Amino acid sequence: MDIVDEIRALSGKYPDRRGALLPALYVVQKEAGWLSQEALDTVSRALNLPQATVKGVATFYSMYKHRPMGRHLIQLCTNVACMIMGAERLVDLLKEKYGLEPGGTTGDGRFSLVVMECIGACDRAPAMLVDTDFHAGLTADNIFRILEEYE
Amino acid sequence: MIKVTIDGREIELEHPVTVLEAAKQAGIAIPTLCYFEGLTPFGGCRLCLVEVEKLPKLQTSCTLMTADGMVVRTETDQIRAARRSMLEFLLINHPLDCPYCDKAGECELQDLVARYGPEAGRFAEGKRRHPESFDDPIIVRNMERCVLCTRCVRMCNDLQGSYSISVTGRGSHSFVEPFSGGRYDCEYCGNCLTVCPVGAIMSRLHRHSYRPWFVEKETETVCGFCGVGCSMVLQMRENSIIRAIPRRGIGFNEGLLCVRGRFGYEYVEGGEELTTPLMKVDGELRQVSWEDAVSFVVKRLREIRDEFGGGAVGAIASGRCTNEDNYMLQKLVRFILGSNNIDSAARNYYAPAELYLERIFGQGITANLISGIANSDGVFVAGGDPTAINPILGLQVRSVWRSGGRVIVLGVPGGLKRFIPYELTPVPYSEEIVLSAIVGRLLEDKPLRGENAALEAKLRSLRIPSDDELGATGVSSEDIVRVAGDLSSMTTPVVVIGPDVVQRKRASKSLFLLGAIAYLTNARIFLLAERPNYQGLLDMGCLPELLPGGRPVELEMFRHKTEEALGMKAPEEKGLNLFEMIEAAAAGRLKALYVMGENPLFNIPDSAKVEKALENLDLLVVQDVHLTETARIADVVLPATAWPEKEGTFTNLERRLQRVRKARRGKMASYGRDDWKILADIAERLGMTKTYHRVEDVWEEIMHVSALHTGLGYEEIAGGSALWPYYGEPLRGMEGDFPVEGLDELPEVTVPEKPYLMIDRPLYHSGTFSRRSKALLGIHPGPSLVISPLLAERHGLSDGDKARISNGRGVLELKVKLDGDIPDNQVFLANTFEGFGAMGLIGFGTDSVLGSIYIDDNTVRVEKVLR
Repeated sequence: MDIVDEIRALSGKYPDRRGALLPALYVVQKEAGWLSQEALDTVSRALNLPQATVKGVATFYSMYKHRPMGRHLIQLCTNVACMIMGAERLVDLLKEKYGLEPGGTTGDGRFSLVVMECIGACDRAPAMLVDTDFHAGLTADNIFRILEEYE
Repeated sequence: MIKVTIDGREIELEHPVTVLEAAKQAGIAIPTLCYFEGLTPFGGCRLCLVEVEKLPKLQTSCTLMTADGMVVRTETDQIRAARRSMLEFLLINHPLDCPYCDKAGECELQDLVARYGPEAGRFAEGKRRHPESFDDPIIVRNMERCVLCTRCVRMCNDLQGSYSISVTGRGSHSFVEPFSGGRYDCEYCGNCLTVCPVGAIMSRLHRHSYRPWFVEKETETVCGFCGVGCSMVLQMRENSIIRAIPRRGIGFNEGLLCVRGRFGYEYVEGGEELTTPLMKVDGELRQVSWEDAVSFVVKRLREIRDEFGGGAVGAIASGRCTNEDNYMLQKLVRFILGSNNIDSAARNYYAPAELYLERIFGQGITANLISGIANSDGVFVAGGDPTAINPILGLQVRSVWRSGGRVIVLGVPGGLKRFIPYELTPVPYSEEIVLSAIVGRLLEDKPLRGENAALEAKLRSLRIPSDDELGATGVSSEDIVRVAGDLSSMTTPVVVIGPDVVQRKRASKSLFLLGAIAYLTNARIFLLAERPNYQGLLDMGCLPELLPGGRPVELEMFRHKTEEALGMKAPEEKGLNLFEMIEAAAAGRLKALYVMGENPLFNIPDSAKVEKALENLDLLVVQDVHLTETARIADVVLPATAWPEKEGTFTNLERRLQRVRKARRGKMASYGRDDWKILADIAERLGMTKTYHRVEDVWEEIMHVSALHTGLGYEEIAGGSALWPYYGEPLRGMEGDFPVEGLDELPEVTVPEKPYLMIDRPLYHSGTFSRRSKALLGIHPGPSLVISPLLAERHGLSDGDKARISNGRGVLELKVKLDGDIPDNQVFLANTFEGFGAMGLIGFGTDSVLGSIYIDDNTVRVEKVLR
């Protein structure tokens, strides 16, 4: 299914076109990993919503990315519980191993790292999301075993 | 009845309003920042906080509705402390660059801080940085100053309906930006400038060139661009216009303006204005004195009249001149020179369309209130985009959608695209078939009421297209059922008629069909007017068949009334219309043509033909502000005053008389003379006995001569509610029989190999004045050919490439602009830029019923220009 059709099909599930905006943004973000001006324009046309409105919404939420991202997005929690359990050490390790800075992307475009606030897994801290997969109980050893699964 | 107590004062309210409004009614001012009258309340700035008894916390008065027994206090120590704290928060990020901010002196934040404090901020961290954006030609954006009141966003979305800006990002990184992040590429109405309380969104036109307290004088006047006639205030300093601003409370435009009105005024100070009269000597225009020029015109006019009779003289009046100017031209030509040959560019569509509709329904049928459109529950638009031709009227159409009404557009929807539930775009020149089908379908739902016998008789003999015939238009019978169903369900509909349906073959039938839709649905009719005083031209008798006040020349009884009032004689037979004058000039029957404020060489189709005709004249006089294309081939050119230097009246498309006032005067004003004064001077030298000292003298004569204007002095007009027919109902009930061409026929739909060249009517330019405005040129700098992506693909063209269009009338090479919203078999070009006018490549014929023009033979060959 073409991307515009996919968005239009989505909009049928909501009472108005605006309701479909957030899921539609996910649809286009899935394609390139981020939202370019062209991608926002596609959503605007597909839903017949003003471009500026689409941009306003897309830039409000942090789950939408506005610059190119790596193939896989690591979202690592460094909030209180994770911090106590060594999350900051993991950040350093990622830097050592991949040269990956918080907010940055590896040179080969494999990973992007976002250091984020609580993801609700304090009982098994430290925790992270890789793309949409959840991983908890991270240690200096298993974090790389997990990440090596993502090409 | 609701009783509330505010600051110890008891207030009784009929209907619940917000506490803020209730206080305002009682004369208690509550400070606000994000509140703006007319916009949806937001409650974001927390400055309008008030204490309400029995409520635990301070409340925002702009969102809190009054309730019976409420006790409110608006200024207590607690409230003042809260306001001070809110302002301290705002100042955390506000740069405090007041010394060089243009807003200083009229900044709401500055005023509030001066009133409530704080003396100093306690926030020790740095302020956010966000560079000022100069990406836009008109608007400079300084988001460090923004206080996120969102007044601009609400204005843009809720009132303007442009949806061009929005708050992007969040938290302290929230900025109001257009989609591009740089240039606005919006409708440039500038209404966001009106509402911005701080210096975050500012106009570049007067950047760092003034302070608010430099405004020496304010002149309230009416915009000189289109037939809506918005009120505006010109702020002057040393005879130069600093700003043109709208103001709530004056005019029916309620504080809104469009791009042309707000930013287009600069053409009057462009430095290209004519400074002295010019006369052709040895084939070249040379500067001469006023005396030489005027006495030459007088001499030649007299000679031509004496040798060939009055019928050899003609005149073209102007939709951008005042009623007084036009009246005087009509007087000179008709009563002094003895010729009824007077017409104007209103002949292109406005005048014939209105006169025809009046024949069907009676005088005053189009005299409806623009502000009433918003109260209707449905609009049918045909023949042009109201948001571009008459932008403020277009906003009213948009607001119908906002309040749940239906907007139906026949043709390319343009600025109404977001406001329509479905498109109705038939192939070019098949509108007549679609309209016939709609009327046919409507007749099934709406019984004939027997009110207009002539119209109903014609409806009975109307040929309704079969499904096959309809199919050729690209509109399906399901579409027609839907449109007719929507029209039937409207209880207070409006029909808006634009130029394009009139400039077609068999325009009488299209107008009849639109009239029939209005009749069957009981709708009000609005006729779009491109120039500020098209209606005034009709009322002042600048038509070959009508005298001032709309009295027919050829009816002796009416003519005598006018002649008696004036004590002068008019010719008995109607004169030549605009196109007949061109023909007569080409044939050598018309010897002299007096053109005031019009540029026929550019504004009438088939420019080459017009030029040949004008070259054939013995005397061509052009009276204008600039050296136009027509002025260049004139024998005499007389410099006239421009709109902000004029004193007089305009009559807008709802027939509201409004005062145009002189803002520029004295040495620094242009060297032109008032149009009416030049004409009166010539008329006096040709034997007119009356002398006019002031423009009021002219108006008094108009009041005396025209029954429509009786008893309407400048004082009454200044109130802004002088609509004609003035007291009471429109003058309807003049129905008689009227001709309609081709009732039982349908046009054949042919799709030509080459695309049609259509006249683009862009929002940013309306004619030969707008092309001299630096601001408008900044937005829309030059000619472009608007084509569909499909056509572009066929010719290997992409956005910005150069294309050549050609036909038997000429060749133009210009940049193309792709637009996904226009049909494949049409290309659009505006008639604005010198050397690139669409009219040059368009042929025309004259409609046998209306005497208007229809566009004909306008296909063009499109090619890519290879570099």
